[in-house]
Amino acid sequence: MEITQFQLDALREIGNIGSGHAATALSTLLQRRINMSVPEVWAVPFEQVSVIVGQLDMPQATIYVKVEGEAPGKAVFFFPVESAEIMVQTLLGSNEPLDLYTDEMAQSALKEVGNILVSSFVMALTQFSGIPLHPSVPALAVDMIGASLDAIFLEEGTLDDTVLFIDTQLTGIPKIEGQFIFLPDEGSLKKLLGAMGL
Amino acid sequence: MNGVISVGMADYKTARAPELLLTAGLGSCIGICIHDPFLKVGGMAHIMLPTASGSLGGNPAKYADTALELLLREIAGMGSNKSRLRAKMAGGAQMFSFPGKPPVLKIGDRNAEAVKQELQKHGIPLLVADVGGSFGRTIYFDVGTGELRIRTINHGEKVV
Repeated sequence: MEITQFQLDALREIGNIGSGHAATALSTLLQRRINMSVPEVWAVPFEQVSVIVGQLDMPQATIYVKVEGEAPGKAVFFFPVESAEIMVQTLLGSNEPLDLYTDEMAQSALKEVGNILVSSFVMALTQFSGIPLHPSVPALAVDMIGASLDAIFLEEGTLDDTVLFIDTQLTGIPKIEGQFIFLPDEGSLKKLLGAMGL
Repeated sequence: MNGVISVGMADYKTARAPELLLTAGLGSCIGICIHDPFLKVGGMAHIMLPTASGSLGGNPAKYADTALELLLREIAGMGSNKSRLRAKMAGGAQMFSFPGKPPVLKIGDRNAEAVKQELQKHGIPLLVADVGGSFGRTIYFDVGTGELRIRTINHGEKVV
């Protein structure tokens, strides 16, 4: 579908509200201030996704949640491993260093972070559009960001030449940074925009 | 690094010794490496999906079948004889699993299967297949020696 500037702005607004709720939830959870960038809407060939995520073999903790309902999509949070470790330590009130690759407790805490962030994003989206949506159980990979993202993008076994997604940067004090992307499935975008009368 | 040629997603490149080919962060995608030990030339393709037929089209370097064809054509253009070519591949992982929901379409497995079939169709022996698992891979291919170095974050590093 052809996307107009007006619709791009509307998408950015969806991102703004949804990611704002998610950032607030993260802030409450960690009892820390979390800043959020103005969301950007990208419509790029998937091959160019490295422009947005940086080095493809950088280890990051990636939490993937499917958004199900009448306008399905995919929600992905990814954090550099060090940031994810700080978040988990804060959450578990632990002073010991944690190993995100092997520690199951740490992994499930991270999934819970994803769960809370995506739930608040989805709730905002539902309130805004009136379309009922609900998040799936979260899945986690602590690995090269490029590897995690290609698996998410290709999950359905097809790939449009151009991938559209909403991208928000999250930064917290101290030393937490992360990124949130939401990818509406084919057809969902039209429904979301339609529900808002656009 | 000097002499390292980077291959992006849905991309393919050829090289001559002593150049190395690199592709970073393979998940369910596959890196196909082709090598002519006599001429010491070769190539690498980073494919994302099994086949171009019935798909949404676009960049032919995205698919196992069409990417391999493009790669072989370019290698032939370097003076190589198809009968000398050898292949190695890596990737095809399953990065995520959802509890209670077995993945219906394991795209990594399907990619690996498609690459095998395409190589067979072209009569190119597949010497190494480091595929599957649930972890990402970064690969370096030395077209001079045919050595494939596979790096992972938490599953070691090896040369095959």
